[in-house]
Amino acid sequence: MPKVARLHAILWGVFSVGGFIAAFLLPVLIYIVGIAYPLGLWPISGQDPTTSILNHHHLGTLFLFVTVAGSLYHGIYRFQSTLTELGLARAKRALEALGYLIVIVGILAVAYYLLMLNPGVLSLP
Amino acid sequence: MSKEKPFPEYRRKLGPGWWLANSHFTQYMIREWTSFFVAVFSLIYIYELSLFASGARADALNLLKNPGVIAFNVLALLFTLYHAFTWFYLIGKVQPIKMGKTTSKPWQALLVNIVLLLIVSFAVIEILVLR
Amino acid sequence: MSQDIATIRVTRYRPEKDGKPYFQDYKVPYRKDMVVLDALNYIKANLDGTLTYRWSCRMGVCGSCGANVDGVPKLTCASFLHEFKGRTIKVEPLTHFPVIKDLVVNMDDFMHKLVEIKPWIIREKESPPEEGEYRQSAEELERYDQFSSCINCMLCYSACPVYGLNEKFLGPAATALAYRYIEDSRDQGKAVRFPIVHEIEGVWECTLVGECSVVCPKGVDPMLAIQKTKILGATNALKSLVMPRGGGK
Repeated sequence: MPKVARLHAILWGVFSVGGFIAAFLLPVLIYIVGIAYPLGLWPISGQDPTTSILNHHHLGTLFLFVTVAGSLYHGIYRFQSTLTELGLARAKRALEALGYLIVIVGILAVAYYLLMLNPGVLSLP
Repeated sequence: MSKEKPFPEYRRKLGPGWWLANSHFTQYMIREWTSFFVAVFSLIYIYELSLFASGARADALNLLKNPGVIAFNVLALLFTLYHAFTWFYLIGKVQPIKMGKTTSKPWQALLVNIVLLLIVSFAVIEILVLR
Repeated sequence: MSQDIATIRVTRYRPEKDGKPYFQDYKVPYRKDMVVLDALNYIKANLDGTLTYRWSCRMGVCGSCGANVDGVPKLTCASFLHEFKGRTIKVEPLTHFPVIKDLVVNMDDFMHKLVEIKPWIIREKESPPEEGEYRQSAEELERYDQFSSCINCMLCYSACPVYGLNEKFLGPAATALAYRYIEDSRDQGKAVRFPIVHEIEGVWECTLVGECSVVCPKGVDPMLAIQKTKILGATNALKSLVMPRGGGK
């Protein structure tokens, strides 16, 4: 497979995995963090969910990293192609470049902040 | 074949409003726009984590209680669920499962995966939030 | 009893006279057993001999009579007048293709793509005819059977907005046909065909609108073929990353 085509194939594969992550893991994160916590709905009692999740060092950190990184990649990849379909076809390359920049910076940021919040997470459980 | 074309052909261009031409296209465009909410929620949450990491926990929690943010999150949840349901349905279309002589239908994949989504969601709440 | 009349609103484009296409209305007798192609033939025979369109078999096999009927790509020979609401039916040339005259479009782009994917069985070494045919089981046939039903009518291209936005996109029918050979147990041409379908303007442009599979008059599912081809491409790419030599061609 030519290199550029191989890259496209892998980027699509990751997008596809991200689609599964956004479908199975993101709804519950949006609900507990963004809706249940501020409105005081079940299952929240007192402590904010992000702190609860981070208390489960390895599993909690892994859950947040996979969910946020996977969803961000999936969302950005899909949205930039949607914009090209809505009349920005000429800006295709620029949108792609901007999209991947956001994804790379975003994923590095998630990893960095999670490491700051749970410095011990890289050691074995 | 190499002769010049005697008369001009009429070429049509697809305008930015093409997705309004039929209901399938409109549904498709709504499905694709779920990505906007998926991406923006992820970015908001990364910002939340940055506030947590820099010790500004109170700011992070106040931001979540902003009515505008709550409204956006409700919309984001609805769109993300729409993404999930369409994704499950398409799994059924692309990877039907053969059982003997019958082949699974897309709506069956949709149902099975919704049950799976519920199990995963309750597991996350049970293990990571309630414990 | 007054006769039931239908209005057929047809796109006219006569490049030698008009700069732009326009609609022309024709009144034809409306009968339950009449298809859109019958109406066009009625117009040509009785009302206006200058109306130009393609047709041949009248039975959904040749794939030449495709047009956008009330906005949806259809074979005019297989679309009954009574399937459409009201008594006015709009007939336009297939979308996305350049119009040569009236309902006749230029098919060159599709024809090139069809040849490009090498729609024939490729063998590493042909065996002499005396050795007999390349045998195949019923299960092996089933894997690609539906994709071999394509009649090249181009309705799927007309339904595909991605093709409308980017003419270089390989598109539904050509990929479905490529996949038909990729899945054929007798074919050994993957190494030749994969680079074509996995090219950037190949399957990766597809965003799964799915309308190609909706409009296909022969029950082919090009959307499925494209998705399967993407999955093959992604797994091959991953293999070639993990095992740079020998893995995924």
